[in-house]
Amino acid sequence: MPQLRDSGNSGPGATVERSPEFEGFARIFGVETEYGVSVTGASRPVDAGQVAMTMFRPIVSRSRSTNTYLANGSRLYLDVGSHPEYATAEARRPIDALAQDMAGELVMRRLASQAQDQLRDTGYGEHLRVHVFKNNADSAGHSFGCHENYLVRRYVSLEQVEHELLPFLITRQLYTGAGRVTDEGFEITQRADYLDEAVSSATTRSRPMVNTRDEPHADPEEFRRLHVIIGDSNRSQWATRMKLAVTHLVLCAIEESARLGRPSGCEAFALADPGEANRAVSRDLTCRTAKLRLADGREMTAIEIQRGYLSIVERFMADHRELTGESDADAGDMARTVDAWRQVLELLESGRSEQLADRVDWAAKLRLFEALHARRGGMIAQSKLAQLDMDYHDIASGTVYDALLRRGMMIRLLDDADAQRALSAPPADTRAALRGRFVAAALDAGAQFSCDWTRLTLTGPEHREAVMLDPFDADPSDDYERLMAAL
Amino acid sequence: MPQEFAQAHAQEHAAAQDEQNAAVAQAASAAATAETAGDALDSVLDDIESVLETNAEEYVSSFVQKGGE
Repeated sequence: MPQLRDSGNSGPGATVERSPEFEGFARIFGVETEYGVSVTGASRPVDAGQVAMTMFRPIVSRSRSTNTYLANGSRLYLDVGSHPEYATAEARRPIDALAQDMAGELVMRRLASQAQDQLRDTGYGEHLRVHVFKNNADSAGHSFGCHENYLVRRYVSLEQVEHELLPFLITRQLYTGAGRVTDEGFEITQRADYLDEAVSSATTRSRPMVNTRDEPHADPEEFRRLHVIIGDSNRSQWATRMKLAVTHLVLCAIEESARLGRPSGCEAFALADPGEANRAVSRDLTCRTAKLRLADGREMTAIEIQRGYLSIVERFMADHRELTGESDADAGDMARTVDAWRQVLELLESGRSEQLADRVDWAAKLRLFEALHARRGGMIAQSKLAQLDMDYHDIASGTVYDALLRRGMMIRLLDDADAQRALSAPPADTRAALRGRFVAAALDAGAQFSCDWTRLTLTGPEHREAVMLDPFDADPSDDYERLMAAL
Repeated sequence: MPQEFAQAHAQEHAAAQDEQNAAVAQAASAAATAETAGDALDSVLDDIESVLETNAEEYVSSFVQKGGE
């Protein structure tokens, strides 16, 4: 398993050439967010489906499809159940994925605003308001996702992921959870009530927490694509970045031990019942009471499990100071991530989760509810809390999160200018740079085109194509140059 | 392209440093921060007055959509 795998085409004595990224710890990050849509104040009936189609009308007229790619290399489409979906362009760093994710919010906001104007102008009344929710549950028990994608080296098996990464994914929700007002009270995650089986390698109707996709959109001899389903849609920039950054560090440690053919230590945290543990974590607002049953019979709290992963990552970082980043900036960033992780766990352990309100979405919501409670001097109706919960995620018409940002109550890693820039600028160091440049040129030229993650196709006025198998490669191939020359 | 790369790194450095500084400042002056945070929270509640006054049930029940993937 840790040995280089022969591609099958070379002779018995031949060594296989591996990409430079395969040998190190380089990662490709992606975040796909399904958004929810609603409308209020309409003078006649209109449903989410109609609103979503109205939002996508400019997309359809431009690309004859509800599925398109943008000048920043990201994918924009209308998904199952009328959910507008945005998948970030390939990024080498969590902060770059964050910028792309924030650009996605701007795209949705713009589409919503246009749809709102359109509907108001076509007889649905001047008080009509379009809402677009970056969250994971509607009011009727339907759930939708924010999924992360990580390129993982091929020698990490699906089984290894289940046992070693899943307990981390379930317990990281202590600081990545977005929180949700439910009929049974406040929970720290959005999705715990909706997720069942732990791991699945098939795309089925049941919702696993993590799976791997057969199409890594990269060299399948080197990488597989880890698709993390158990994750909340975050408004907090800090949480979005931490979600990706800490998971990356844990994956590094797991990959390294697989490479060396020895246990990572993460297998010690395998859970007896991941679904049950997930619900227990979600319902424990103290964050340090619920005891989770491990496969080996022990019981640990979520914080203790996170502490265990932190130790493993710290040991990995100490052993690989020079390898944990392609440049000093990356290594420094990983060190800061570990510091932030340590700080979060310390605050949770000492019962000071309210101090995380500027960075953890569920804590931010609780802080707001408590402030409202103090001002009103009495119980707030559950429906009011549910409304505030939803408004927090409403990127089109919401006021709560914007107010928190404006008043300096939330950590900002990037500003509006960064998000604006990411609308048209793809990450410069992945194949997204090539895709983005192609899309921008094709749109400019009014040419007919189509894309997927690995292929760029010009369909009119002439037919040309370029294939980009390596997500890490931003260098144009000859085919790409020929493609661009036709525009 | 290398320029953008360097720019992104510098930005990330600065942003991460800002984040670190913000965290340290926060921990160091908890009491003072709590008071200012209280004022800021009050301002937030003022800002969202329109939401607080809107009919919650209507807003919440308007959001019904089929599940996603």
